[in-house]
Amino acid sequence: MENTVVKIDGLVKRYGDLIALDHFSLEIKEGEVFGLLGPNGSGKTTTINCLLSLLSFDKGDIQIFGKEMAPTSYDIKKDIGVIMQNVAVFDELTVYENIDYFCGLYITDKAERKKCVDEAIRFVGLDDFLKFKPKKLSGGLLRRLNIACGIAHKPKLIILDEPTVAVDPQSRNKILEGIQELNAKGATVIYTSHYMEEVEQICTRIAIMDKGKKIAEGTKDQLKRMIKNTETITVEVLGLPEEIVPQVSELPHVYDCRYDGSRLTVCCSGGKHNLIRVLDVLQKNDLSFGRVYTELPTLNDVFLEITGKALRDKED
Amino acid sequence: MQVFKAFMKVLRTRLSSVLPYIIVFLIISVMMSTMGGADEKFTATEMTVCIFDEDDTPESRALAELIAKDNELVELENDDDVILDSLYYTSVDMVLTISKGYSERLAAGETEGLLTTKHIHDSFAVAYMDQLLSEYVVTVDSYMAAGQDLSEAIASTERTLSQETEVTVVSEETMSNSEYFSNYFRYLPYIIISVMLNGLCPVLMVMARKDLRYRTNCSSIRLSSVSGQTFLASAAFVGAVWLIFMVAGVILNGGLFSGRAWLAVLNSLIFSLVAAFTAILVSSFDVSDNVVSLITQIIGLGMSFLCGIFVPMEMLSSGVLTAARFLPAYWYVRANNMISGVEAFSGRDVMLFMGIELAFALALAVITLLIRRMKYNRAESVTA
Repeated sequence: MENTVVKIDGLVKRYGDLIALDHFSLEIKEGEVFGLLGPNGSGKTTTINCLLSLLSFDKGDIQIFGKEMAPTSYDIKKDIGVIMQNVAVFDELTVYENIDYFCGLYITDKAERKKCVDEAIRFVGLDDFLKFKPKKLSGGLLRRLNIACGIAHKPKLIILDEPTVAVDPQSRNKILEGIQELNAKGATVIYTSHYMEEVEQICTRIAIMDKGKKIAEGTKDQLKRMIKNTETITVEVLGLPEEIVPQVSELPHVYDCRYDGSRLTVCCSGGKHNLIRVLDVLQKNDLSFGRVYTELPTLNDVFLEITGKALRDKED
Repeated sequence: MQVFKAFMKVLRTRLSSVLPYIIVFLIISVMMSTMGGADEKFTATEMTVCIFDEDDTPESRALAELIAKDNELVELENDDDVILDSLYYTSVDMVLTISKGYSERLAAGETEGLLTTKHIHDSFAVAYMDQLLSEYVVTVDSYMAAGQDLSEAIASTERTLSQETEVTVVSEETMSNSEYFSNYFRYLPYIIISVMLNGLCPVLMVMARKDLRYRTNCSSIRLSSVSGQTFLASAAFVGAVWLIFMVAGVILNGGLFSGRAWLAVLNSLIFSLVAAFTAILVSSFDVSDNVVSLITQIIGLGMSFLCGIFVPMEMLSSGVLTAARFLPAYWYVRANNMISGVEAFSGRDVMLFMGIELAFALALAVITLLIRRMKYNRAESVTA
């Protein structure tokens, strides 16, 4: 049976009248890549800060590795690696000195530390920048340095709080691959983000947060099964007669059909061969159409259906 | 000792803003030490005097001869333009006219309007000459009043005014035999506070940066260890800076301190602590390097001008000195003045002043702790 690494029970955190966490509970098993997904201000970072005892909370209980977590739980902290949203490194120290410093906060033995630091440098691919000061590094390299500082001591639990904010796609992929590699080596990962694509890509289980509450939890498939929509079909077609939309709406498993003058959008709930049935209607009416595509539901659809709003703004 | 080592590495990057203060101060101190000897010697000043003797009597000539003993006599044409030009171009310091009827009027007991002087500036030498002439006439008059005739009175006056008294200044033991050395300790607070604010303050601000602090707090290193290593590194910096100035002081002094100089050394150490705690307090606020530089100037220059570092206390108004009592540098300077002999020495008072400096350091430490506690709001306990 898998061991529980993190257990949060009924966590409540208030900032004056604002309830940042509202009876939030969570259980993360060993070896999971657990995603904490939610829009900005949903309580992800507050959860992480409470988890790490960086922030006091009003009510609830937090256990890590089966032990009560407190600010002085140094035996627990030694097995936790933290990669914060902001790049937390010394501008005055070189890449190597930074990683060595943060690793040294966990490992005092010099030889062992050197080995860990060297491995971390190789892992994030900063071998060519050892003597560089952080200000000379690009945004992507800085993020990699930030990660190296958090994982050099080989933690069993790695917490990443939005590590890919403002990172170019290439570095983002490198970071995500790295996280999966760390997980493959045995680390349990908690990953917070408001980028649903990232969470979908790497997380084995996901909790969706909104306004300090957990609104859904499960695997990707479990979450998607929670909602009505299983498939959205879009057909580019011009001059669609009015009577076609009711015809399509009456097809099996179709619960919503819209036409905006150039695109017919059909939302389906379950069932197979939905696309064939829709195209069949168009052909029978002798209508020519352009591009046709079908989309499976995303976590954004899950969030949208549960809360009535999108996970993040389009410009994000 | 990760935190200690990181502190020192960050400090190394900040030395460029600290070293100029130390180097400039030491250069000025060396210059002062080489110039200091000249102040201890007295050199007699000889004036250039032109005498127009309108009376031309033995009595008036006697006065001219007396003046000629210690001054250089020059001859000028008795013309106003020539006289004014000579005075303007300082080819002559003073023009003395012995009025017609000088001897007769002196014999008659008159002392006013016998002599007329012209000079362009009021130097000590001119004032001294005016005083000498006045004293000469009054003394002659006094001897005559005592029953001597004019020639006897003039002879007696010359003898009297020629007398020299040997004066030996017996002073208390001072902290050093060179005046520059007391100045060295007087100016030290400005440099120490500037070095602390420019050196210690930015490093502490880096170490206390929110994101770095969070990362450190997440780690398995004990907070007491972080605080202890930071304290140790800060103490090492403060001690090193203080030691540099003391070693420089010994070198410039030409030997090890002696006597009360050790009190000055102790006083400077205590003030270094005050400066360090000031830097720690400033570092508690999230300010930029430019603001730190501004604060350095305000605190450093402000204390220096108000507390008698740049301007001697004797020249400061009572209002300024009353306000200065609320600043630690005032008590440093008071102690230093006593130790260096500017004020009458009182061991009890010196200790009291040093105690007040320590009280300032303690107050700064308490304020810093309160500010940090409010600011960080770190979770120490979980409330149910």
